[in-house]
Amino acid sequence: MRQKLSLIGLVVLLMLSTLTACMGGDSGTAGNNSTVESQQTDNTTATAEAATAQIPDIKSAAELTSFQEAPMLAELVQAGTLEPVEARMPVKEDIMIEPVYEEIGKYGGEWNFPWNGPDDKWGIGMATEEAMFRFTEDGSGVEPNVAKGYDVNADSTEFTIYLREGMRWSDGVPFTADDVVFYWEHMLIPETFSKALYDCYYSVDPVTGEKARADVTKVDDYTVKVTFKHPNVMFLERLAIDNKWFFAPAHYYKTVLPEFIGEQKALEVAKEYGFEDLNTLGMWTGYYYWLYPQRPTLRAWVAKNDMNSDRFIMERNPYFFKVDAAGNQLPYMDRIVLTKMQDPSHKLLETMAGKIEITTFGFTDFTVLKENEQKGDYRVIQWTTPSWSSTGVQLNQTTEDPKLRELFQDIRFREALSVAVDRREISEMITNGLGEPIQASVPEGLPNEQAGWAQQWAEYDTARAEQLLDDIGLKWDAERKFRTFADGSNLTLTIYQEDTADDPRFIELLRKYYQAVGIRTDVKIVDQGSYFDLKYANKIPVSVKSVNIVSLSYRPDELVPLRVITPWFGHYGLFTSSGGKEGVKPEGDVAKILELWDKVKGSKTREEVQEWTDEIVKLHQKNQWVIGYSGPTPVLVVAKNNLRNVPSLVFSDEFRGIGHAHPAQFFLK
Amino acid sequence: MIRYIAKRTLVMIPVSLAVSMIVFFIIQLPPGDFISGYAAKMSASGEVMDAQALAKLRENYGLDRPWYTQYFSWIWGILTSGDFGYSLSYNRPVSEIIGQYMGITVIISLATMIFTYVVAIPIGILSAVKKYSFFDYFATGVGFLGMATPNFLFAIILMFLSFQWWGDPMLGLFSPEFADAPWTAAKWMDLLKHMIIPVIVIGTSNTCELIRVMRGQMLDEMSKPHIVTARAKGLPEWKILLKYSMRAAVNPVISTIGWSLTTIFTGSTITAIVLNLPTQGPIMHRALLSQDMYLAGSWLLLMAIFTLIGTLLSDILLAWLDPRIRLDRKEA
Repeated sequence: MRQKLSLIGLVVLLMLSTLTACMGGDSGTAGNNSTVESQQTDNTTATAEAATAQIPDIKSAAELTSFQEAPMLAELVQAGTLEPVEARMPVKEDIMIEPVYEEIGKYGGEWNFPWNGPDDKWGIGMATEEAMFRFTEDGSGVEPNVAKGYDVNADSTEFTIYLREGMRWSDGVPFTADDVVFYWEHMLIPETFSKALYDCYYSVDPVTGEKARADVTKVDDYTVKVTFKHPNVMFLERLAIDNKWFFAPAHYYKTVLPEFIGEQKALEVAKEYGFEDLNTLGMWTGYYYWLYPQRPTLRAWVAKNDMNSDRFIMERNPYFFKVDAAGNQLPYMDRIVLTKMQDPSHKLLETMAGKIEITTFGFTDFTVLKENEQKGDYRVIQWTTPSWSSTGVQLNQTTEDPKLRELFQDIRFREALSVAVDRREISEMITNGLGEPIQASVPEGLPNEQAGWAQQWAEYDTARAEQLLDDIGLKWDAERKFRTFADGSNLTLTIYQEDTADDPRFIELLRKYYQAVGIRTDVKIVDQGSYFDLKYANKIPVSVKSVNIVSLSYRPDELVPLRVITPWFGHYGLFTSSGGKEGVKPEGDVAKILELWDKVKGSKTREEVQEWTDEIVKLHQKNQWVIGYSGPTPVLVVAKNNLRNVPSLVFSDEFRGIGHAHPAQFFLK
Repeated sequence: MIRYIAKRTLVMIPVSLAVSMIVFFIIQLPPGDFISGYAAKMSASGEVMDAQALAKLRENYGLDRPWYTQYFSWIWGILTSGDFGYSLSYNRPVSEIIGQYMGITVIISLATMIFTYVVAIPIGILSAVKKYSFFDYFATGVGFLGMATPNFLFAIILMFLSFQWWGDPMLGLFSPEFADAPWTAAKWMDLLKHMIIPVIVIGTSNTCELIRVMRGQMLDEMSKPHIVTARAKGLPEWKILLKYSMRAAVNPVISTIGWSLTTIFTGSTITAIVLNLPTQGPIMHRALLSQDMYLAGSWLLLMAIFTLIGTLLSDILLAWLDPRIRLDRKEA
């Protein structure tokens, strides 16, 4: 009897834990998709101007006479276990000078960085990333970072990348062109880390649309050349997104990969790391490499212990290749300490207690953060996001039900749903007035901005909505409560809500508006994983996602149906990615978008790229597949008052989040 | 007695096997699998996850096989080589993960248990002795409050107070300055400071039950004829209390002590999440959510085994402690 009881008890316990898990989901991690308009705090820029006077005006490290290093490294040099700082960095003229935002900093201190364990790898990955080419501060283009410079030939088919002479990996081994060619030949091409070769390495024949793979060759120890068959104008920008780290330590992988040490030995290595098989070893050490202390990197901080520890520690890289304008080797801060937080609210609590040097929050936490600003001794800095909207709705153009699909493809229906909602109320209630009551559109100041788009269908007008629905031929049911299809059959929009990411308050409000014009809605709440699966299976008719991109030419896949990702184009994306074998064949304006994208890919000049991407965006404006009810809201960067050199920039995945502010030059005053 | 124990132990084997199979099956019941959750998380942070990448991941982790194949290879590993499998979300052997969190979990659970008994048993006895006094009402009232307040809520309240008064919500078990330090006296003090909230929170939920059980049992025992006789004989009151009534009254407490075996090794879950404690509970919770079935399955299997052992231990303890039960069994 007792055994039976305990068995039942176990099952109950299991159910309970699943249940509590389902309930505990919505504690606002708006992070990625929250967003806004530029009403930033100007105090950071003001202090920056005041301080510029003290920053030496130096363009090249060759002008510097001496270099300084952190006390912790100086000790090691004294003890004779480490070479002097000059010997650890690239040759003088190849050292990179990292501009500071406010003032020359001082060494020391720890950066407490909350994360929820290795699942959160991208947060720390982006913050510490050192890309071959990185985006400039305003995001209008790229600048060399790990690379020293580059040359492009006239028709953009040959890119020569120059590396820094004397630069070293974090274990002291020289970093040369061989590391780039090795990465290309032994990791990218054989897909060692389970990712197909990135799209940026293909050029497109402007006539046939055929894709041709690039070639990477070593010119000398510090020069590599990437050659394309056809022009690839946007290569560097797309490289900065697709494959930021276009290099890997050959000397390390030669001790790990089965290609060099044999299957048997490699399997032993995998076991040492804790992996079961070789593929997983390849993926984790090759792709999520910054988490492994064994794997040398070029980053400012390198992993020191097991990432599964309660405190994962990254410590300064003694071989880091950047200095400030006064010749101090970066980074300023000694360590990053990643403390595991099981719930997003812990991060908020610890921040309010003033225990976190710098971190980011979605705008939903704005009020609570502001209230505790003094007590926690921090400041809230607003970063803008390149989001088209903060709240909105997308109708899957390829949804399974043929009647719904026809309705969703009807532009009048989308207009009706757009004008049926009072944007001002949404703006006030959902975004605290931070998101403007406007249509989903390219935000001000970004490439491809279209004048007047923000006001398109943005007026609250239920009479117009009724009129449009009548025009489409939607009938009323017997009680005149809900609309039905023309043949009298039931019309219901099923909204799928992702339990952790989507705002339930917004969805409730949305349902109220839709019901007012007779549109019946239904909500299904699913977890992140199921949502992902459902999207792949084309089972999501209506979703409340928004579009978040800096520039169409950098990252097209949210607006051009290249694969399954953005909900509105559903299985059009599958059609492209499967080469026409699966999915739904794009027609009309969607097919046109794909044609235009091929033209972008085949462009010979930047002007051409601009022209064709503008055309694509105009089709988006015309069709408004992505409907928005409020403008973007800001991301909040919360920094302790004694943490300096924190600017206010654009927060986006393309620019690597907080990494765009170059954390190596943050310091504690 | 030995025969009895042997019989009980034998029965445990098929029961734990059945439990393991049911558990493994249930974990896989929700739609999707570990990879779909993982892929969703990664694409939310900007990683490109296409159908090919997913298929490859599934193949790597062996998730493309039917669940019973996965189950049998897992259970075979446990039976033949004690290998509990491989955690998908941690990319490490399950046994390593369980080992990492075991120490702290056991420390907290034991501290909590001791707290519960030390607080509850004297209060229970006193409440019985001073029946319907102010103390009785007060202790009962506080106890019920402790039981009725959900643990996580109580934890939040204490955290809030701690944040208001000291500006520190006391998350986790160590202050940052001690986290990597060797075990010095100061570090122990720091740990003790951080353990106050969890021990009180987790402890109070059981305290009330124990107080009530103790009180009820004591009241029953105190009016029994042999107590009256002892009192008539002129034995001092404290001796009657401790030697006669209490000894009989702790029976129900002892008989349930074995059941706490599971709790000792798993620790509490929700409270640990709220307080950000590095114990087993939250690890298992996450394993269940992400359908990391080898980790979750191993856990539930261990819990089942602990429950079975605990029950057996309770029975043995009881027989050893209480001659009446021992005799009963002999006659039967």
